[in-house]
Amino acid sequence: MFLKVQLPWNVIIAAENLKPGSLMLQRAILIRLLSDFAVKKATKDMGYFLVVTTLEKIGEGKVRQHTGDVLFPVVFNAITFKIFKGEVLEGVVHKVLKHGVFMRIGPIENAYLSSSKMPGYVYVLGENPYFMNQKMPKIAKDVKVRVVVIGTKWMEAEREFQALVGLEGDYLGPISSPDM
Amino acid sequence: MSGEEEENAAELKIGDEFLKAKCLMNCEVSLILDHKYEQLQQSSDDPMNQVSQVFEKSLQYVKRFSRYKNPDAVRQVREILARYQLAEFELCVLGNLCPETVEEAIAMVPSIKTRGRAQDDEAIEKMLNDLSLIKKFE
Repeated sequence: MFLKVQLPWNVIIAAENLKPGSLMLQRAILIRLLSDFAVKKATKDMGYFLVVTTLEKIGEGKVRQHTGDVLFPVVFNAITFKIFKGEVLEGVVHKVLKHGVFMRIGPIENAYLSSSKMPGYVYVLGENPYFMNQKMPKIAKDVKVRVVVIGTKWMEAEREFQALVGLEGDYLGPISSPDM
Repeated sequence: MSGEEEENAAELKIGDEFLKAKCLMNCEVSLILDHKYEQLQQSSDDPMNQVSQVFEKSLQYVKRFSRYKNPDAVRQVREILARYQLAEFELCVLGNLCPETVEEAIAMVPSIKTRGRAQDDEAIEKMLNDLSLIKKFE
């Protein structure tokens, strides 16, 4: 789910970048915030950081004693993406393996749909392998699939989430709506 | 999320901070990201180089999974759904998945039936009808 959040952060401006003129300073703070935001990528609690929408407030700067850098508390609005256990959403298959498929869901690169969570589907080997069952369209590369989230895991080193998803439930499975 | 109660979006157990947070439908995110991208295009020759991977992947995703493209339609979808006392999370799941039947809507968002709210089938039916009308006239 995409979320609209308001975050308080600290932005550090190096002493040599402190130039006269408040507009210059505001600009330096904004540029620094945008780059910090992009580098941070995601956190376990908030999910993935997409975009800063508006900068609400820049507080009083505090000089840091040893470096002479100035730390500014800021408050800004942003959009994040976080998935929740039990949530139903749609994604695209990007890799088909014998034991299941990997899907992209928003910024999440690896949502794993295990064959054990695809009741009734069998793996079909070939140049473009896929999963099929009696009633539904097949699950192959680039196919859109509606899934339910079974579990999520935060990978601290990569600053990424992994998700386990499944098809056990009504109205889940590959989708082929021509209007999308 | 406190560890006491296990997270389960189907029962709307997603943690207080997220329950209160404003959620966004894919189509709304698409409009916002598109707008940001256009702004970057004006100030830079190579806008894709200016955005993070998270931004890029999300933009691709919401473009592919937005049921409504026209800004007026997007606004109307939220207005219609807002009439039905839904939690933000429920509203956006419905707006994203556009279920066609009452049964499908309940399967996608089981909490609309279980939270002890008088969300009867008739009301859900009307809501889905209103949504499909927007789609038709978009």
